[in-house]
Amino acid sequence: MSIVTDLLAKPGVVAAGEYAYRGDRFSYRGALTEEYARMASIMCRATTMGVNMEGRMLEVFQPRSGLQPPRGWVVHGPDYTVCVMANVFCMLDNAQGSINDIVGFMRQTMAKAPSGLI
Amino acid sequence: MATLDQLMRLPGAMAAFEFRGSGELLDQRIAYPERINETTLDLLAHMCAANLSIATMQARGWEKMTSMKGFYPIQEFTLVGFDWSVVVSGLHREQFKGEGKTHLPPFMGVVLGNEKADYEAAFAILEEQEPAP
Repeated sequence: MSIVTDLLAKPGVVAAGEYAYRGDRFSYRGALTEEYARMASIMCRATTMGVNMEGRMLEVFQPRSGLQPPRGWVVHGPDYTVCVMANVFCMLDNAQGSINDIVGFMRQTMAKAPSGLI
Repeated sequence: MATLDQLMRLPGAMAAFEFRGSGELLDQRIAYPERINETTLDLLAHMCAANLSIATMQARGWEKMTSMKGFYPIQEFTLVGFDWSVVVSGLHREQFKGEGKTHLPPFMGVVLGNEKADYEAAFAILEEQEPAP
């Protein structure tokens, strides 16, 4: 099974998907329209590229910082949370799911994902 | 309201910090000065301020365009690094603004080791309400 399928089987996950770092394609499953999923994948990709650039700047200030290379990021809203690890994104209903479980699962599953953004 | 000392009691806490919306570091607690220093925290605070603002703009736009609710306002932004994570929030500022107060509290953040990180506990501390007067 793919990570997207695994994520969708977890409590509270309303949608999940993958995007290409070069920005030319995405795929998703769950409760989003194609157009909204395209928009979500573009926003997730943009933030991922941004935090990777910022992580490299941070590395100059403090080599071997535990933040570098960035693995992902999370935005937590009042009802929904967006979790992104490498090139996989996931939208979670806060009332139904566990952010700790989802981040832990994504970190573990994506542990060997290359950090070269390719 | 959350304090730096409360945040430092989270499992795996390495540092806690307060910063302005512009990213300027205001105060900090550092558990391992040999691993994370004030200069790093200052850049990290600037990074987090920028990402929190971008995420807030995106959540606002997302809700307007999709009519899906529950994303805005962003309560916390978390960066998950290779070994550490940083969780930041400006939620108290929004509460103060909503109450019409003019002196707003700073943004707050905590750096956690990933192995022990409890993101939900960090969110709960950062979201603690100011007791009613």
